[in-house]
Amino acid sequence: MCGPTGVGVLYGKQHLLENMEPVEFGGEMIDFVNLYDSTWKELPWKFEGGTPIIAGAIGLGAAIDFLNEVGMEAIEEHEQELAKYALEQMEQIDGITIYGPRERAGLVTFNLDDVHPHDSATALDSLGIAVRAGHHCAQPLMKELQVAATARASFYLYNSKQDVDLLVEGLRKTKEYFGDVF
Amino acid sequence: MSFNNLDTLYRQVIMDHYKNPRNRGKLEGDHITVELNNPTCGDRIDLQLKVNDGIVEDAKFEGEGCSISMSSASMMTQVIIGKNVEDAVKISKMFSDMMLGEEVDTADYKLEDLGDIQALQGVSKFPARIKCATLAWKAMEQGVEKEDE
Repeated sequence: MCGPTGVGVLYGKQHLLENMEPVEFGGEMIDFVNLYDSTWKELPWKFEGGTPIIAGAIGLGAAIDFLNEVGMEAIEEHEQELAKYALEQMEQIDGITIYGPRERAGLVTFNLDDVHPHDSATALDSLGIAVRAGHHCAQPLMKELQVAATARASFYLYNSKQDVDLLVEGLRKTKEYFGDVF
Repeated sequence: MSFNNLDTLYRQVIMDHYKNPRNRGKLEGDHITVELNNPTCGDRIDLQLKVNDGIVEDAKFEGEGCSISMSSASMMTQVIIGKNVEDAVKISKMFSDMMLGEEVDTADYKLEDLGDIQALQGVSKFPARIKCATLAWKAMEQGVEKEDE
């Protein structure tokens, strides 16, 4: 979301939140305190015990304003355009496996033949290209795909077609580099 | 667009161990088995050790992972076979310090005594890869601890 880390939003149905007990206690969340029991303030204070993450919350607000200003539809359109372009370019690389359907979110998951995704990720990193390598918090999917791990390039509003071109060039170089040493 | 420093990580000897791993396979007879994963990245090692009278008589491994994790496993088995457990753990500590970029205690073993392992020194400059290199060593330490029990 382009905001600071360590802050988020609890979203829930009001009647359920009202029935929930707080898990954190602290200042500002108390109604009456007795020796053996207490009552809590109403929502949202009940869940906001203690000093909140003030700078984080202000930063998150600014990030939401920023995203609203750009517009969610515009962001999705941009991501879709980049993912489509990336898919077309990456498919032309010899010895690449691309996972997933053609209709996809703004990302491309792949493996270079005979190169472990962590090695690809380190090579791309040294070119200034950040991709994610590993299980992607989806071990059952890796089993289903019968791979140890995969690499994934994701696109966002700050990426451009030129970034995709650099990625494709980087992948070709990576293939060449590990092709030579093996 | 060029690979800065990539050769300091992917030394020829590392690639050789990756492509032609030493002591890869399964041990016959009585042995200790340790299976360890790096859950975030998917590396997995299945290490088997044959320890008799405090001496690591044989070691083999299976598993899957990147070039760094698999070459480190191959090199590790090479260096610990024939060593006593105490020395194997000592060398593991040296390796761990080397990965963390800390001063390595060379009172008992010199870096030169560690054979191909020295080639992994460059990994310390790639923090995201250190856990790849240390996986096999952690498995070995757990294995020899099991033997103690």
